[in-house]
Amino acid sequence: MKFSAWPKSLAGRTILILLAGFACIQLLGLLIHTLNQIKLERIQEEQVFATRAVIIYRHIALAAPADRAALVAKEALPKGDTLTLSATPPAGDMTYDLPLPAREIIRASIYAYGIPMGLHPHGLLVRGSGVPTRVIISFGMAGAPNAGPPPPPPPGGKLQSPGGQLQPPPPPTGGQPMMPRPNWQPPPNGWLTITSPLAPPKPWRSPGFASAFIVMTLLGAVMIFWAVRKLLVPVRTLAEAAERLGRDVVNAPALPESGASEIVTAAIAFNTMAARIRRFVEDRTFLLTAIGHDLRTPITRLKLRAEFMEDDEQRQKMLADLDEMESMVAATLAFGRDITTSEKVTRIDLASLLRTILDEAADGAPEHAEALSFSGPEHLTISARPLGLKRAFTNLVGNALKYGDAARITLRLLPKDFVQIDIEDNGPGIAPEDMEAVFEPFRRLETSRNRETGGSGLGLSIARNIFHAHGGDIALKNLGGKGLRVSVTLPV
Amino acid sequence: METLPHILIVDDDREIRELIAKFLERQRLRVTTARDGKEARRAFANGHFQLVVLDLMLPGESGLDLARWMRTEGKVPIIMLTAMAEETDRIVGLELGADDYVTKPFNPRELLARIRAVLRRTGDSEDRVPEGAAQSYHFSGWVLETTRRRLLDPAGVEVAITGGEYDLLVALLDRPNRVLTRDMLLDLLRGRQAGPFDRAIDVAVSRLRRKLEDDGRHAQIIKTVRGGGYVLSTPVERR
Repeated sequence: MKFSAWPKSLAGRTILILLAGFACIQLLGLLIHTLNQIKLERIQEEQVFATRAVIIYRHIALAAPADRAALVAKEALPKGDTLTLSATPPAGDMTYDLPLPAREIIRASIYAYGIPMGLHPHGLLVRGSGVPTRVIISFGMAGAPNAGPPPPPPPGGKLQSPGGQLQPPPPPTGGQPMMPRPNWQPPPNGWLTITSPLAPPKPWRSPGFASAFIVMTLLGAVMIFWAVRKLLVPVRTLAEAAERLGRDVVNAPALPESGASEIVTAAIAFNTMAARIRRFVEDRTFLLTAIGHDLRTPITRLKLRAEFMEDDEQRQKMLADLDEMESMVAATLAFGRDITTSEKVTRIDLASLLRTILDEAADGAPEHAEALSFSGPEHLTISARPLGLKRAFTNLVGNALKYGDAARITLRLLPKDFVQIDIEDNGPGIAPEDMEAVFEPFRRLETSRNRETGGSGLGLSIARNIFHAHGGDIALKNLGGKGLRVSVTLPV
Repeated sequence: METLPHILIVDDDREIRELIAKFLERQRLRVTTARDGKEARRAFANGHFQLVVLDLMLPGESGLDLARWMRTEGKVPIIMLTAMAEETDRIVGLELGADDYVTKPFNPRELLARIRAVLRRTGDSEDRVPEGAAQSYHFSGWVLETTRRRLLDPAGVEVAITGGEYDLLVALLDRPNRVLTRDMLLDLLRGRQAGPFDRAIDVAVSRLRRKLEDDGRHAQIIKTVRGGGYVLSTPVERR
């Protein structure tokens, strides 16, 4: 089964694959960023809470033990926080493991906020609780403050005040006064427990991140488009070169042999093939031209000899035959020449060219003069090779008169700087299966292969070669048994 | 009795040479033949010719070189025999100053008509064209190039014309401001145009006017003369 969204073009497919890969990378990056961000936010939140907890502890601990319960009740807390004073630490469910250095922060804060040594907590429990995530910090309360109110905390969190008042030495329990030790004594003044819920993580709340992510994604996508299109340009160049070669074997320019190594290989192979085809065509054309050249001398002699014939009727017939031979030779030569020589492109008046061709046809065959007509603008200037175009249209008008007893030319301007020339006749038209065959050199349809309508079988081939060399085209259409329409399009 | 015009035929094919000679002699012309440049030079040294029919494809010295040499020798008119395919040769030949050309294989009667037309043009003192064949005519902004037989409008766009229209236009451009009757024009044009041509003059003039954008009622370039004739009433510059 074919996936309908699968693009047809190589560029489309490459872009799609690269974009899919790019999207995966972006999603993965987004996931890593999110996890990191959640962790960072949590650390920050815990840090803030730990600091707050120490400040609250300091506030409570500085009061006399008797007043502490009242202070706890009055303490102003942020929304969601709770503060309790109890004899034993509340049983926290330990489902939430705190991997983070909250404990370190609390310990650092105790020093930073200038809590007198005697009031340092006798124990510290830091726990977490599951859904919704809460952090629970319990301090074992120290006894009464030594003397009076404590000095204000020194700026910068220095341990010593400028007055140089020495803090009492740490209790003999040693280095870790805050840690409940195996042989710890329950603190005499109960446990102060502070809980705070952790806000649900919002890893994408920063507007800068969102826009940066979008810009990055768009930029990446644009670069993929650009790079793929640029990389695939040689493929299109190759296709165009093949197309040009098909239209005009001899004059098609060679493919530049530069760029990536694969492209160079393909270009060299293509150019070699083009050279072989060209040599083949040129050999054939040379043969035709040589025969045409060689036939001219005997035809000239015969025409001269005919002048010495006594029988006028036979002389006329002989001259007519010779004229027919001459026109065949001329067509053969024209066929060979069109491919090998290039006439210069100039600005020409196409309308007057077509009218001139009809006038010449009328002069040559006065009995057909009534069946020739032209409709279109009085003047229409295009860039073209005048002799080539004249030959091509003369062939078409000649065919129309020969097989269709009429030639009606319509000239009109198409959008996009093209002109269309229709030549209609009154003939039987062409069988659909022969539509392409009539363009083959030396090919004449069986029905017309007789002396009356003869011809070289080159007229349409020559005309099509010329139109193609101009960047135009030619198409045939039957008019329902009432004639044939030959449509030519040419660039202005 | 007037002397017969003397024609030199230069062609490398013996049969063609002899047949042309025989044909032209029947038409009251004197003919000498030459097979290549060497013979042609020898003939030139020994006789005086009114016209040369010169094949451009000659063994040894090319026809173009020979034509160039003849041009330095004198004003003898030249009709070139060219192959259809060699358009550039024809253009070069006309630029060298050849008076006309006939493409091979040609119709003997056409060759004869051209010979007579060129002889008339160069020999008839009354109808003599000022200074030989011009390479281009400039009139009312238009240009007629004789070497390439093409008509360019004031914007430089090529406007196609038939052989008959071309000859008619040249006949008119060679004689500006002179009334040419239909008979005179017929006589001048018979050289090129075969077939019935009486009414054709009027047809060709009307076609020409249309192409020159010269409105028939108020024609400015080719004016109709009451009593049957036409006159080119615009200054012509020959280059």
